[in-house]
Amino acid sequence: MKRVEAIIKPAKLDEVKDALHAAGVTGLTVSEAKGFGRQKGHTEMYRGTEYTVDFLPKLFITVVVVDDLVESVVKAIADNARTGKIGDGKIFVSSLDDVMRIRTGERGRDAI
Amino acid sequence: MVRVSARRPRQWFLKAVLAMMLTQWLVGPVIIARADEPQPDPAGIATGDKTSTSDAGGNAFVVTEPTDKTAPDYAKNKKAFDDFQALAAKEPVAMKLADNVGHLRIATNFTWTLLTGYLVLFMQAGFALLTCGLVRKKNAGHLMMLNLAAYVFSFLAYWLCGFAFQYGGVAINAAPTNLGGTPTMDHFLFGGGLWGFLGGKGFFLSGPGYDAGSLCLTLFEVVFMETAAYIIVGAICERISFWAFILAELFMGGLLYPTFGCWVWGGGWLSQLGQTMNFAHGYVDFAGSTVVHGVGGFCAMALAVILGPRLGKYGPDGKPRAFPAHNLVYVVTGTFILVFGWMGFNPGSTLGSTDLRISVIAVNTNLAAVAGSASAMFLWYYLFGKPDITMACNGMLAGLVAITAPCAFVSPSSAVMIGILAGILVDAGVLFNERVIKVDDPCGAISVHGYCGWLGAVCVGIFADGTYGAGWNGVGATSYLGKAGQGVTGLLYGDHTQFFTQVGGATFMAVFIFGFTYIVFSLVNAISPIRVSREVELEGLDVPEFGLPAYAEDEIVNAEPEMARA
Repeated sequence: MKRVEAIIKPAKLDEVKDALHAAGVTGLTVSEAKGFGRQKGHTEMYRGTEYTVDFLPKLFITVVVVDDLVESVVKAIADNARTGKIGDGKIFVSSLDDVMRIRTGERGRDAI
Repeated sequence: MVRVSARRPRQWFLKAVLAMMLTQWLVGPVIIARADEPQPDPAGIATGDKTSTSDAGGNAFVVTEPTDKTAPDYAKNKKAFDDFQALAAKEPVAMKLADNVGHLRIATNFTWTLLTGYLVLFMQAGFALLTCGLVRKKNAGHLMMLNLAAYVFSFLAYWLCGFAFQYGGVAINAAPTNLGGTPTMDHFLFGGGLWGFLGGKGFFLSGPGYDAGSLCLTLFEVVFMETAAYIIVGAICERISFWAFILAELFMGGLLYPTFGCWVWGGGWLSQLGQTMNFAHGYVDFAGSTVVHGVGGFCAMALAVILGPRLGKYGPDGKPRAFPAHNLVYVVTGTFILVFGWMGFNPGSTLGSTDLRISVIAVNTNLAAVAGSASAMFLWYYLFGKPDITMACNGMLAGLVAITAPCAFVSPSSAVMIGILAGILVDAGVLFNERVIKVDDPCGAISVHGYCGWLGAVCVGIFADGTYGAGWNGVGATSYLGKAGQGVTGLLYGDHTQFFTQVGGATFMAVFIFGFTYIVFSLVNAISPIRVSREVELEGLDVPEFGLPAYAEDEIVNAEPEMARA
């Protein structure tokens, strides 16, 4: 089992969500985040004083999948979150030790 | 296509302001009243005398000499005049007292008109809160700035030429006697006599416009124009660029609103149709269902059509998506402030508290508001299972808009009926715009102000019961429909001509306002697009257009400055 996490632009959520459904993913978790990568922030002015806008709004998606699906899920996210402009985000894949469905108590692959 | 950058507008705004000031200084001294014209009274020391004195029934204290020797009651009127002249000669102290009383009457009316005008000004805050609450958080600053800028720029355009266009000729056919008659505003730029099309005195509010009575009218009428000016914000927000918005406000305050306003309130041709074409009392709109709200609503509609819907509003299958309001607390609070301000809007339109119909107007206004909210709520509950808070507010405003034209002419029960109709219409209008014609209207401005404004004018022609308005627009001062003292009357009380006049006038307003705005701004849009770019719209207009988010701490703008390295 692998955990696939992605940081994407908020405007891309609908497309990524639909692509994940099509790829066979049954559930996902989304949280709002702020971040920046190699892009620098930009400056704005407030009543005569400059301030920098470093952090931009992003969405953090977490999906847990069986190993066979990892490549298609990564491709689904990447293809649908890409705009070609800086700030598109990143995808992280990590191993997962165990999963449990709270309602039924199922463990492992059955809980995904 | 030329895109105006953030820095360049500063230069041409500065140039525009300097040009306006230069013109005023050059042209101002030329705008003075000639010796043979009525002289303006800027100090207010020559306004209001015994000719302004009248009794409860509106009968003047001073008897004027009858001029028409062929009239049937000439002999009776001439005797009354001669008797009065004799009395005036015998009782000079009474005549002096009459001068004081007349001045006091005008002063009372000034107080009323100005204070109710300030109430209408407060409606700006109400509408700002209402519309801000109805949009997404990332555009909250943009909405507030649009409402602020609407007040600023349309007012300046109204000062420059708007008031002159609307009221430059008002003394010819519609002199506001409650304020002393504004005798200096006596010239139409286009048209003349009973067919006035645009006023021509009072530019820069100087010369004939620099008069105590005229400026009292100006204050009251400018805040009404401001209402039309901020209405458009409700439909064009979240995607209009700021420079295009300023242009729209200059257009509204300087030309669009004053033109139709002249035709209905400035003594222009629509109001005089009763005398020129025997159309009952002419086109009647007491406080502005069409002059203010209809104009705002249909101008908004034209701009919304040119702009197109917000990104993501309609899916590939054409189904609309919801953009939930970000703060319902603002929406309801804003609505209450608008209701309170409307207590100035409608009763204030008598231009004087010496007209005791003001109490009837105040109650009618409130009844329509609550009936509108109740009917909108119940209909929505029936259709969708839950009463929507924003539609309850829109329903209240719809009732207010619809009663604005008929408020002085109807009974309280009719006011309730009008409110109920408005609540139904606003619900239907919102669904129609959203699902059928697919015009994206974030705050429902087109339905509340456009459609219900049209309804309000039509309701004059249905529910007016003749108890008020004898002599309106110079028709039937002594008798109308065979009855002495009969005022503006509608279909249900025996006058079908008024009904057709109202339907015709209101429909003409919708077509004219939509068409004029559409033509002008299609041209502007072709020269330089009035909509912001896709990136700006997705980010929210607060930072890209104004450099500030409305809720800075929700976006980590900077690590707390107090924690920065010293």
